[in-house]
Amino acid sequence: MTVTRINVGPVHPSTHGVIRLVVDLEGDTIVNVEPHIGFLHRGVEKLAESRMYMQIPPYMEKLDYVAPMSYNEAYVATVETAMGIQVSERSQYIRVILLELQRIASHLLSLGTLCNDIGQTFTAFMWAFKDRDIVLDLLQEATGSRMFYVNMRLGGLREDLPADFSEHTLNTMDYLEKRIPEYVAYLEKNPIFTERMKGIGVITRDEAKQLGVTGPVLRASGVNYDVRRSNAYYVYSKLHFTPKSLQDGDNFSRYKVRILEIQESVRLVKSALKALPEGNAKGMQVKLRSPNPVNRISVVNRELPKGECMMYMVADPQKPYRLSIRSPSFINLAAINHMAKGERFADLFGILGTLDIIMGCVDR
Amino acid sequence: MKVDRDALISTIGKMKSEGFDYLLKITAVDYVDHVDSIYILRNFDTSKDEILEVTLDPADLWVPTIIGMHPSADWYERELCEMFGIAIKGRNASRLILEKWDGVDPPSRKSFAWYAPYKTIDDNK
Repeated sequence: MTVTRINVGPVHPSTHGVIRLVVDLEGDTIVNVEPHIGFLHRGVEKLAESRMYMQIPPYMEKLDYVAPMSYNEAYVATVETAMGIQVSERSQYIRVILLELQRIASHLLSLGTLCNDIGQTFTAFMWAFKDRDIVLDLLQEATGSRMFYVNMRLGGLREDLPADFSEHTLNTMDYLEKRIPEYVAYLEKNPIFTERMKGIGVITRDEAKQLGVTGPVLRASGVNYDVRRSNAYYVYSKLHFTPKSLQDGDNFSRYKVRILEIQESVRLVKSALKALPEGNAKGMQVKLRSPNPVNRISVVNRELPKGECMMYMVADPQKPYRLSIRSPSFINLAAINHMAKGERFADLFGILGTLDIIMGCVDR
Repeated sequence: MKVDRDALISTIGKMKSEGFDYLLKITAVDYVDHVDSIYILRNFDTSKDEILEVTLDPADLWVPTIIGMHPSADWYERELCEMFGIAIKGRNASRLILEKWDGVDPPSRKSFAWYAPYKTIDDNK
């Protein structure tokens, strides 16, 4: 059969950012997918070499505009490691609460856009965005902003939580606890959804390791690795965090891992709020001149909503000499050719949706 | 862990058989007098990471490809080639991945011509 080449993009083929996919098809079966990336490349790693330490967090937030605080925290934690700065216990709890809220918001957006991608419009999309908005309200209450927060400071946060935050958050978490089963019931009993998810875009456990995929994509293939437990940071071990993994490695498993992670995040936020200790949560004031680093090389791993991020920083006095970012979306997207081969063309967007890529994160 | 360039393939192969079968990242650091190519590998069973550093002479910038052992090295090696001008022997990694221009200087090298190099307050004194 003749091979037809179709060019998808470079405007966004679904709702994840600017990407171009060159797809070779035999009939409507995919033979090869070649992603062309770099449309959002801003040279953040190079830019970081030319800014002083605390001028960089706003750039970091723009890497993943769906979960900006996660990247911000990963960077600030790298600088804290380089400078040997300890984070107070209260700050650790608050960081965990905010990061988990950010994860819920990111996974809800992923769920909404996934349903949009596979033609499961419009109910689940609207539900997910409405619920994400409620979580964003909480983040706004805590940080003053809905999108880019820049609220991490060396050793703590810009400010402590407001007075009513705990009550509002517990109410919202109770609501989400009841709400998530509604998503599950609505989606998993729907044949349009399940037939386009089950058995599509399969990666086995060994393939997942070989392809280097990370985060929910890796855990959906049976590798039970989550930085929050295996290389636990902050108070995750005190909160008895358990990673969620499934075995099938298909679209459905990747969706389901995210649902389970939302439920686990809800539990984590509630337990962290209940155990929140008294103390000082304020970090160092931002000044152009920061303390000089004590470690030349610092490596920090963090579990972002999209997967594992690693920051490798070589420190100079006052600014990074080199900052290398391992972005989870970059390596997850690289696996798309393997996942899409042999599938139908229409399923390509479901696969892309379950990878949950953000092009700012891919291109850096 | 410092590794000689000639021993890179055998070291990574040996580590893979010992359980370090996940490639986390390939990156590089330009120290001007030398360039370090960095390989970070993970063992999921022990949750241990191992960082391999290969020191390269700027006049002789190449590393062997490890794509045979770790297919996930594909995009990382292309990025290394594009951003640092490190040739990847054993495969063609020269197709651009992130940048859409064919610049003379690899952008992540310190020799890259900035429009305005930024100075810290200490530099301005």
